Amino acid sequence: MPSLNTIAFYLHRITGVILAIYLCMHLCFLTTVKTGQYSSLIKVTLSKQFLPFDLLLFLIGIYHGVNGIRLIIHEFGLLYRYRRVLLYSTFIITAVLWIIVALEVIM
Amino acid sequence: MRFRIRRFDGEKSYWQEFDVPVKRGMTVLECLFYIKENLDPTLSFRASCRMGVCGSCAVRINGKPMLACETQAFRLKEPVKIEPLKNFNVIRDLVTDFEGFFKKHEIVKPYLIRRSEGEIRQTPEELKRYYIYTLCIKCGACMSACPVAKNCLGPMPVVSAYRFNEDSRDEGKEERLKILSDHIWHCHFVAECSEVCPKGIEPAEVIQKLRLEVLRRRW
Repeated sequence: MPSLNTIAFYLHRITGVILAIYLCMHLCFLTTVKTGQYSSLIKVTLSKQFLPFDLLLFLIGIYHGVNGIRLIIHEFGLLYRYRRVLLYSTFIITAVLWIIVALEVIM
Repeated sequence: MRFRIRRFDGEKSYWQEFDVPVKRGMTVLECLFYIKENLDPTLSFRASCRMGVCGSCAVRINGKPMLACETQAFRLKEPVKIEPLKNFNVIRDLVTDFEGFFKKHEIVKPYLIRRSEGEIRQTPEELKRYYIYTLCIKCGACMSACPVAKNCLGPMPVVSAYRFNEDSRDEGKEERLKILSDHIWHCHFVAECSEVCPKGIEPAEVIQKLRLEVLRRRW
């Protein structure tokens, strides 16, 4: 079983790749939309079938962002000795933010 | 206790199991010696001082790089999986090739560079600044734990460079920082090197400190 440090590292990489692919797809999708068609096309992605994907995307984005901030803090030479606390905090903050965002979207 | 050991005979790699009658106080290294002396004399592994000073017996125990001589067998989960260090080429069984490791070490000029001659005095405070880094025994545990060490310098040479940079007798800091400026950006702060170091050195911290020092310079 890999340690939490290693899990955090691989999750950061995987979520980064997923976000990059999503960004490319998102931009490609937007460039194909003709004037006046945006609202009807966006309705498709706002449907209930898309909700789990949206929630997953939020989770990926939030984790990548929060973990990114943790790494930036360390790379600025700060809080090395508290790296375990920061690592656990990353997962807790991600979960809390994701629950808040998910409730906001679902409600 | 059951031991699962990753064997390599030069051609194929496979797992082999051994049952060792472990007594309280026995280290993993002693278990390896028991296997070699009583069960399979072909088992190969490195060992020398048996007291955590030489760094020869570093292997992966249940996936984590550790010194076999400092690991109590009773504290481990069964079956105890023993594998050679990662990021090193395996020569045979648990013996890995350290040539590349020491070549990487040479890159950072791990010795005192002096331009002036004469007696050099050092205060206890000056010694304290780098003393902890002199404890590195070059066991390779940090290199094995690092997910990017195979393609870059890795934690150990960076620690070594920092040790000499912080030494008040040394005059090669700028030279070393120039060399490091090409090598220290691969670190992703996984911090596994700091977690596994048997001497409690913090390579992850050192890398970040050196990055800041390099960034402050304009060559």
